[in-house]
Amino acid sequence: MGKIGWNRPLRFTGRTGKGIDMDRFVLTNNPLVREKLQGEETVEFVETGFMELLSHARDYIHGGHKLLTHPLSGSVKPMETPYKSLMLTKSKGPLDLSSLGLIENALDACRKFQFRYEKHPERVAADFQFIDWTLIESALR
Amino acid sequence: MKLTLGYIDIRDIQLSNESKVENGTLYVSADAVKALVMEDENVASVAVDVARPGESVRITPVKDVIEPRVKVEGPGSVFPGMLGKVQTVGSGRTHVLRGCAVVTTGKIVGFQEGVIDMTGPGADYTLFSKLMNLVLVIEPKDGLKQHEHEHTIRMAGLKTAAYLGELARSLKADEEEVFESLSIKESAEKYPNLPRVGYLQMLQSQGLLHDTYVYGVDAKKSLSTIINPTEVMDGAILSGNCVSACDKNTTYHHLNNPVVYDLFRQHGKTLNFAAMMITNENVYLADKERSSDWSAKMAEFLGLDGVIISQEGFGNPDTDLIMNCRKIEEKGIKTVIITDEYAGRDGTSQSLADANPLADAVVTGGNANEVIILPKMDKVIGHLEAVETIAGGFAGNIRPDGSIEVELQVITGATNEVGFGTLSAR
Repeated sequence: MGKIGWNRPLRFTGRTGKGIDMDRFVLTNNPLVREKLQGEETVEFVETGFMELLSHARDYIHGGHKLLTHPLSGSVKPMETPYKSLMLTKSKGPLDLSSLGLIENALDACRKFQFRYEKHPERVAADFQFIDWTLIESALR
Repeated sequence: MKLTLGYIDIRDIQLSNESKVENGTLYVSADAVKALVMEDENVASVAVDVARPGESVRITPVKDVIEPRVKVEGPGSVFPGMLGKVQTVGSGRTHVLRGCAVVTTGKIVGFQEGVIDMTGPGADYTLFSKLMNLVLVIEPKDGLKQHEHEHTIRMAGLKTAAYLGELARSLKADEEEVFESLSIKESAEKYPNLPRVGYLQMLQSQGLLHDTYVYGVDAKKSLSTIINPTEVMDGAILSGNCVSACDKNTTYHHLNNPVVYDLFRQHGKTLNFAAMMITNENVYLADKERSSDWSAKMAEFLGLDGVIISQEGFGNPDTDLIMNCRKIEEKGIKTVIITDEYAGRDGTSQSLADANPLADAVVTGGNANEVIILPKMDKVIGHLEAVETIAGGFAGNIRPDGSIEVELQVITGATNEVGFGTLSAR
């Protein structure tokens, strides 16, 4: 792969090269995301619930990592689905207050909603995995 | 850009052996519609049904609602870039079959589509209960992937709406309305003493089933930009978004955006409707910053005194809404934001996931968490069991008497954020 220069066109977002080499990783409890991103991106898979995953993200943020995606899904209520994928920086720096604010707001939003997932039939689990996957995928492009 | 809309009022739909419009009735050949939809080999079967206001009918799961329109004069055709070529629309003459709609249904994923009740308490929460609806129940072929299924249903709805709209091409309009958007220079010269007001429409763009298309372009791939408000009347913006029924904008909402129409009706009287801008709602934080910076930059460049901002959806887009609001306010430009609320069942929780003191002028479309009991309907078009897993529904919510307990979130258009709704503080 040549150096970035005149001859190598950049993709629209300017994010080039393999994800796995970039300063980002995906924190997820979604097995579909782990499967889809195998070999493409750095994935940290944690088998845990929705709020617990956000707490994990908060731990990373306390450790100096920054959020790259918003922790709340668009138009999917936080406790509607058990699956969540987030992108954070691999690198660490001083505590990023805006990341902290976002994750704390997200945890607050969760507490507001009654946890519904146990009441959903099994067949919907695959759909929830899929929607969570498409949301994180849109951020990877 | 000057566009004349000719409204042809539809007071009934009848299935017939020939498609035509006569004396306010839309006659539809179900066979012709089926043949049109079945042109897509991804469709295994399609049923065509009619739902009229006042009938004991529930339509679910609703994917999109589209108004039949046709371009009679002027460049381009309706739904440019998706059905027609990409040529710029929004000028000339367009005919509208007013009072009816094409409704598509489909269980693309197990949740997130909506309900339209044509009578009863549920009907009060959606203006679609007041329309004559031609409903397409589309079954995909086995093994069709979700994004192909969504595409299939989207195109079927648009094709059917364009096919029906075509029936209005040579008809005499019952009523006409003219909309003219002027250039920045023209409007400033014509209305020097009126406040220059812009409209910033936020478009859902978070991925599959959360997408909006502008001239066929996926909104997540675009930077914030300007559009002539008359372009939306020809279907320049349309919905690929089937999430959260209450506050997603169907194609019908885009075609009939009340913010656009009301601004036009005030244009030259109380304000100068100087510009319309569109922006997206992406997941990636840097995209949110970039898009909102761009919107604020445009608002300032256009010399606006005030901007109305409408959101689509909820969750992380609340962050985009507040970013847009704050950044535009920081330029010294007043804003009003239109949104809906997720304030919990008792309405006491914070309504948005994000907040800022600069967002001090808010119009709300209602609280989507409010619970409502929908009585049993005599007929269901679509799939009733989908209601259990629709966002705002929950397992076991179909009671023994057939009524269902749901949040307003399940009703298509209930808390719509461009103001196309019935909930009001008046």
